[in-house]
Amino acid sequence: MNLRWYHFAAWGALIAAMLLMPRLVDLGLMGRGTLRTMIQACYLAMFAISWDVLSGRTGYISFGHPFLIGIGAYGTAILSKKFGVPVELSIPLAVLITMIGGLVVLLPALRIKGSYFALVTLAFMELMYQLVQVIRPDLTGGTRGLSGIKTLTRGAENGYMLAVSLMLAVALGCWLLMRTRFGTALWALGQNEEAVSGSGLSTIRLKAMAFLVSAFVAGLAGAFLVHYNGSLAPRAMFDINSVFTIIVAALIGGAGTILGPVLGAFFLTFLLEWLRPFLPGAERFLVYGAVALVLYMYQPKGIYAIIEGGLKRLWGRA
Amino acid sequence: MSARLQVSNLVKRFGGLTATNDMSFTVEPGESVGLIGPNGAGKTTIFSQIMGEHRQTSGQIHMGEQEISALSTPARIRRGVSRTYQVPRPFPEITVAENIRVGLMPDSVWQMVTRGADRDRERELALAVGFAEADLDRTPAELSMGDLRKLEMARTLATDPKVMLLDEVFAGLTVGEIATISALVQKLRDQGMTFLIVSHDLKALEPLIDRAIAIDRGTKIAEGAYSEVIADAGVRASYLGGGGDA
Amino acid sequence: MLQILIQGLLLSGLYALIAMGFTLIFSVGRVLNLAYGAYLLIGGYAYFYFSQQLGLPKIAGVMLAGVLGCVLGLLKYQLLVKRVQGVHSAVEIATLILAVVLQSAVVLIFGDSSKILLPIVPGVERVASAAIPYSNLVATIISWAILIGLYFFVRLTHTGRAMQAVSMDAKGAAISGIDANRINMITWGISGTLGAIGGVFFASYTQLYPGMWVAPLIIAVAVVIVGGIGSIIGTLVVAHIVGFMEIIVSSWNPELRGVFTMLLIILVLVLRPRGLFGREEIH
Repeated sequence: MNLRWYHFAAWGALIAAMLLMPRLVDLGLMGRGTLRTMIQACYLAMFAISWDVLSGRTGYISFGHPFLIGIGAYGTAILSKKFGVPVELSIPLAVLITMIGGLVVLLPALRIKGSYFALVTLAFMELMYQLVQVIRPDLTGGTRGLSGIKTLTRGAENGYMLAVSLMLAVALGCWLLMRTRFGTALWALGQNEEAVSGSGLSTIRLKAMAFLVSAFVAGLAGAFLVHYNGSLAPRAMFDINSVFTIIVAALIGGAGTILGPVLGAFFLTFLLEWLRPFLPGAERFLVYGAVALVLYMYQPKGIYAIIEGGLKRLWGRA
Repeated sequence: MSARLQVSNLVKRFGGLTATNDMSFTVEPGESVGLIGPNGAGKTTIFSQIMGEHRQTSGQIHMGEQEISALSTPARIRRGVSRTYQVPRPFPEITVAENIRVGLMPDSVWQMVTRGADRDRERELALAVGFAEADLDRTPAELSMGDLRKLEMARTLATDPKVMLLDEVFAGLTVGEIATISALVQKLRDQGMTFLIVSHDLKALEPLIDRAIAIDRGTKIAEGAYSEVIADAGVRASYLGGGGDA
Repeated sequence: MLQILIQGLLLSGLYALIAMGFTLIFSVGRVLNLAYGAYLLIGGYAYFYFSQQLGLPKIAGVMLAGVLGCVLGLLKYQLLVKRVQGVHSAVEIATLILAVVLQSAVVLIFGDSSKILLPIVPGVERVASAAIPYSNLVATIISWAILIGLYFFVRLTHTGRAMQAVSMDAKGAAISGIDANRINMITWGISGTLGAIGGVFFASYTQLYPGMWVAPLIIAVAVVIVGGIGSIIGTLVVAHIVGFMEIIVSSWNPELRGVFTMLLIILVLVLRPRGLFGREEIH
């Protein structure tokens, strides 16, 4: 994996800084509202990581990620609310369902390439949106969705600690995974799929594994998010805007880098928060979009690449 | 580290076009065979069928005793057959070392994750095909055509083949680079590697092969010692573009 | 039975029109233009604005919507697609972002709630038990007129043939002296116009709201892929298959309408990604 001292230092600093945030609130340096914003950013970061594992390196663009997040969220919500399954069990079950369900439906789609894959994932999201409203509305809550779902934490600080620990664990895990030969193989896959197959590697297996990891993260984050919010609504979940937010977070942070999407998620969430006094409504997507488009057209590798380049120049290691 | 490659009654049709017409030949373990013929004769199509990139219309392909024509490309590579491409196919955004690493990887995600890269082997392969130490960290975007062919050779070797199919490995290379690749092929032959080589550069090809097979329009027209094949009237005619009737 | 036949024809004509604008771009530029959906959206809202808020004649509203779509298509090609052409994932992402930006612009101007479009032509014709709003009938007739016009344009005019040539072999077309940039501009312009007009009809068929473009976009893309990229006849046939299937399913259980369409699309894409009528591409 080729870990160096500065990797340990950077991760240590990141983890310490994130876990110490609530102390800033105690000291009066930061409002509780900011902590709540950071919770949102943590969940968005996990979704963006999940997207990044599948799409960031391989070039198989998923436009239907809310499909996976939705399975996780609906899974645990229905299990815990309608069947009285304890949350400790319903969340792992929901994650498992996300992985199995996602694999069963999307494995055939991994045979097709490029734009076709993007389209099929988009169609899956739309299908899921239609399905939850029609099939067993007594369980899914139909168009209205579900509310009164058990929440896991009380107060901003506890919610934050849970979200940030999950996010850091997911980020570290995926970052390490992408530093193995598996990560190299995924880069290679995105650059020349035939040559990967011509090097003796089963591309279907590589894609399926990337997909499983992606589904695991999406299911996990979706399940915990629903137990944080206490409710879920299909229109908000299976919305092209949420696909957009996830992809933009990953892209402007830096696709394929895992840490980039985390940066992107925090950047986007705080951008929105700072803009709130000036732009209270739907304008935010206009701003998101404009920022994303400009950044994407001029630096497709995102903030991560900009920071990396800056650091290298700083230390004089070209 | 060698195996026999046997192609029997291979036929490939694309719509109305017969690209491979009842092709049969055997490459014995440790032997090196040249596949020659004019442009569009169907040499590369035979390679694609051996590797499973195109499925043949009929016929069989054996590696040793085993029939491989129902297997996927990665499964065939595990059986020990591997090829290079006429147009090199590097991974452009990762380093030379990482390109070779992909070839060295086992086809098991678990092992990819749990075991680290074998950097010594990567370096050994890169140096063997003629790269310098400093080239390991360069990306293919910075490489010349000759370097890309070397990289192609290195990645093919990395899959640990018993039979290597080389497709136009000398095209676009300088005299020095041709010498490097030729020396590498000779060394591998001495170690018992089996080769099937396609090349337009007959002068570079001749010393590397034990015998030659000439094909034209998907059909085998001559087989035997290089000098005999090249003297064959049909072969001369096909190279001159007149077909078999001249 | 008659009801299904008539409704099927009406819906299919609409799908064919929407898909046709998309197939032009897909076959000439080989890009999955996700912002195509935005033409529908802009077309629908432009019509709403001009004819219902400004009170212009309805025909002027449709025309202005078409012009706006055309301008949008040209701008998009010049400012966005040209810069990232060749990298399909970059085009997909850039056009997705653009679509969402346009959607939020619509929300900003017109609000989030859905709008009711007054029928383009008021009145209802009854045939047996089937009720046909004149509006839908007119939409279908205009769709067919545009489709037939387009077919002859592509087949018979010099520009149309050049478009075909670019779609089959861009390099070859360039060698034979076709100005690919000009052809691309024309194609993006026509595509934007068709999309916007399709949007007007689609919005009057269903309803006008900021998220209305996603489902018809998926349907359009699927129709094009299944029908064979660049095949006008194939697109027409598949638009009718999808349209009729949708009507048949909804006559049996209206709630399953959307579910069925998406399932059909996914199944066909996965099982026959080359489409039913598409030419097999060599290598």
